[in-house]
Amino acid sequence: MEIPAHQIPGKRTIIPYYLAASVSLVGINILTSLSIADFHGHFFQPHLLAITHLTVLGWGTMIIMGASNQLIPVIGDKKLYSNHLPVVSFILFVLGTCLLVHAFLIFEFGLMIFTGAILISIALIIHVINIVLTMRKSVSNIAVDYIVTAHLWLIVTASIGITLLLNFRFNLLPENHLQYLKVHASIGMAGWFLLLIIGVSSRLIPMFLLSRQEKKSYLTAAYYLINFALLLFLGDGMLFQTASGMFFYIAFLLAGLACYSVFVVNCYKSAIRKKMDAGMKMTFIAIGGITIPFLLLVTVTFFFHNTPVSVILAYGYSFFAGFITTLIMGQTFKTLPFIVWMHLNKPNTIATLQPKDLYKEKLVTFQMYLYLPGFLLFLVGILFKYQWLMYPGSALMTTASILYCFHVFHIVNKLRK
Amino acid sequence: MIPLNITDQHYQDKCLLMGMLSTVKDPELDLNVVDLGLIYNITIVENNINILMTLSTPACPAADYLKAAVELVAKEAFKESIITVDITFEPKWSGDMISEAGRAELGW
Repeated sequence: MEIPAHQIPGKRTIIPYYLAASVSLVGINILTSLSIADFHGHFFQPHLLAITHLTVLGWGTMIIMGASNQLIPVIGDKKLYSNHLPVVSFILFVLGTCLLVHAFLIFEFGLMIFTGAILISIALIIHVINIVLTMRKSVSNIAVDYIVTAHLWLIVTASIGITLLLNFRFNLLPENHLQYLKVHASIGMAGWFLLLIIGVSSRLIPMFLLSRQEKKSYLTAAYYLINFALLLFLGDGMLFQTASGMFFYIAFLLAGLACYSVFVVNCYKSAIRKKMDAGMKMTFIAIGGITIPFLLLVTVTFFFHNTPVSVILAYGYSFFAGFITTLIMGQTFKTLPFIVWMHLNKPNTIATLQPKDLYKEKLVTFQMYLYLPGFLLFLVGILFKYQWLMYPGSALMTTASILYCFHVFHIVNKLRK
Repeated sequence: MIPLNITDQHYQDKCLLMGMLSTVKDPELDLNVVDLGLIYNITIVENNINILMTLSTPACPAADYLKAAVELVAKEAFKESIITVDITFEPKWSGDMISEAGRAELGW
């Protein structure tokens, strides 16, 4: 029997994304340190919008795009459709993100922000085309469904974002701007990030842990529940804005997450590989940590009539700085050393180094010990408006991000030797 | 791990070969292919050595490397022989195929 036809995608399709994302993470934390006072006000203000878009685009989406160029051929057992499109997509995405974030920072809704948004949209469309064409003939499985659907939600998110920008200039939408902003943010969080993370992790977690049993029916149930919640939310948020609608789609979303949790717990219980490295520990902490934003979401939905802005800010912050960032920081050291290792290997030689030799496990652990307390201090600071807690929290996270960035460059630098 | 029978006329060659294959490690698990139970069979007929092996998953990204590495180390031990490596997914690999030493290493 032949080995599946996936081949190693070119370095340029992956590595630049990791490097740019690691620089963005440092930028996010420095910008956060300089904007601490802004976290006590409303979330719709220049610095917070700039930080959010740098986090979502420059950090989360950037690294996910790069990693998906490596992982999707593995998950779909297919060769990446094009090695050139990711390079074009990367250049447009970096330019677009810089313009968009800068425009938010100076609160300039003119040519700069529209150019940025259009460049980002073109980059995302190119990326999605490449992914869909890679997956089109792959054997259908639930992980593939999650990934393709997440990419479709990404396009929906970007489209709503552009509509919102146009709304600023031409006042197109009938309701309050913030109402649609909520839809834009939530579709991006649950439709893009959450679905993609569930899809990719449904293959990677059993693979890394050597799980003997996978309860895939729970994954399928989670897929339909989350997508149903998203469709309800999109329809309700854009067209009807009913007050009671939110209870239903949050219930569906939480039910979907519960199903995913059962899948993950079962993978862990049936794992052969019980010893977890720092990267996997961070992954599990992140997955467990998803309870924080969703507890805040439940609190917001069911216990407050007029939700305090600090709780909404804490919800968004704990999703991106807690769940997404911790997960990516951990998974970086599961994926990047392996990617670099594959490119270091020469044909007809036995590898003398293993992926684990390309990075420092202790440094990953140290990063984790710096980042997690820093995040918790900052989060408590946002929730209870304790500015004095946010300074040390921010300092810890900035140090962790600088170490992370140094570590990523250190791993990639091995390719030059 | 495949059983080696002392009455097999190629017993010594197979032992040597298994020793060599033990130097090939799965890059992600950092465990050698023999202890992982990836080697299903070794057939020696005159000058031809065939190694039948599997992968922990059909989507294994290190598939090409593992196959090439197994072939290389076998060739190193048996320079005059013709080495072929075949991949099979029948039976499907499972954790039960990991050796005692391998299980201890993985913390099972």
